[in-house]
Amino acid sequence: MKDTCHQIPKQLVIRREKAQDCVVEKLGSISFTLAHRPKRVIQSSCVKQPLCHRGTTIFSRFSISSSIVSVADLVVPFPGETLSLRCGLIWCEALIKMVGGGVIQQILRRKLHSPSLATPVRSWFSSKTAHVDTGSSGVRAFALLGAGVTGLLSFSTVASADEAEHGLACPDYPWPHDGILSSYDHASIRRGHQVYQQVCASCHSMSLISYRDLVGVAYTEEEAKAMAAEIEVVDGPNDEGEMFTRPGKLSDRLPQPYANESAARFANGGAYPPDLSLITKARHNGQNYVFALLTGYRDPPAGISIREGLHYNPYFPGGAIAMPKMLNDEAVEYEDGVPATEAQMGKDVVSFLSWAAEPEMEERKLMGFKWIFLLSLALLQAAYYRRLKWSVLKSRKLVLDVVN
Amino acid sequence: MTRVALFLADDEVVDPKKYLEESCNPKCVKPLLEYQACVKRIQGDDSGQKHCTGQYFDYWQCIDKCVAPKLFTKLK
Repeated sequence: MKDTCHQIPKQLVIRREKAQDCVVEKLGSISFTLAHRPKRVIQSSCVKQPLCHRGTTIFSRFSISSSIVSVADLVVPFPGETLSLRCGLIWCEALIKMVGGGVIQQILRRKLHSPSLATPVRSWFSSKTAHVDTGSSGVRAFALLGAGVTGLLSFSTVASADEAEHGLACPDYPWPHDGILSSYDHASIRRGHQVYQQVCASCHSMSLISYRDLVGVAYTEEEAKAMAAEIEVVDGPNDEGEMFTRPGKLSDRLPQPYANESAARFANGGAYPPDLSLITKARHNGQNYVFALLTGYRDPPAGISIREGLHYNPYFPGGAIAMPKMLNDEAVEYEDGVPATEAQMGKDVVSFLSWAAEPEMEERKLMGFKWIFLLSLALLQAAYYRRLKWSVLKSRKLVLDVVN
Repeated sequence: MTRVALFLADDEVVDPKKYLEESCNPKCVKPLLEYQACVKRIQGDDSGQKHCTGQYFDYWQCIDKCVAPKLFTKLK
């Protein structure tokens, strides 16, 4: 085909999109009048490709079913015309690449190279399906039915075990620090730390929190120092090469109840009390889950028996948890005189654990709010600037010059 | 001024969660009756395979949904 690019280097050139129009152009100016409703795509750049390939980008928008039919339509109307065959083949190859179906590729290739192109689309489809089903349809149907039945049966037996397996879904409580600009309740964090220290620390470590982290959050520096000084810490070799113990400092981590995991398991019937430093982030819907778990110890349902050493908790996956109910009314006497009910202690300890897992939360929310606001202003500015610069091109006037 | 916790005559503190769970009982009568019916059904069972976890979960889910929005207003 003639390369029209060099003839008209800088003007706008009209390209045609349909394969039929390829044929029409080739046959000369007389057939030009016979082509009905040619679509014109206006290009401002010259690309050195045969004209037939031009329309493949538009063709790719069609769905699979309509494209197969339209490809057949393109191929069928010009029997015996070699150029239409070639154009049709190029169209089909583009379609095949996009769809990726190997079977379609083989069948279409066979059809395009066959001597008679008059085969309608419908019989082509029916011949294809009939070819597959010969002889094995009965066995195949029975096999599918059997697979479906076993699937249904297994699904029904699995579903009944799933409820206790995942645990009762915990409700969403309205935590005071939930809002987009809400901070922690620091009085609650202070009480929660007291609950942790007196109730939980005998079994659970919090080895990622240091005493200095509590300064300015729950305690003053003096209070934190006094608290740290109550514990004994093993410190590195002295000048004589011996390890020694000293009272704690602000830089020390919170003390661990057990030397290692094995000791923890041995002391708790094989179960390991997890470290609580990140527990609200380490469990799905952590804050609500921990609160529901701590305050959710109930009698098991009828028919469920828990072995000796374990306790029933519906929120725990499986229902049988090694930890007994720890939060009982008045177990702790709060410094600020708040009545220490089970729910109150649960709320406070979960506030403390949330802070321990996400101490950066307040700063993060402030930063997030500030930068989302500023970036949205920047987005508006950028959008305006882009439209300003592009207005030159978008308000161009185009002159149609028919290539003839 | 909402009271933080209830004090009985003998100066005992009542847990607000327990109190709310009991007050939400009338709202969840239907799952409770289902559970009680299940308990009756499996009473004679000795195989150990039958249990009422489903009905139990339905009942407590109803109670939890009722209690959760109100609980924290009763706490400090």
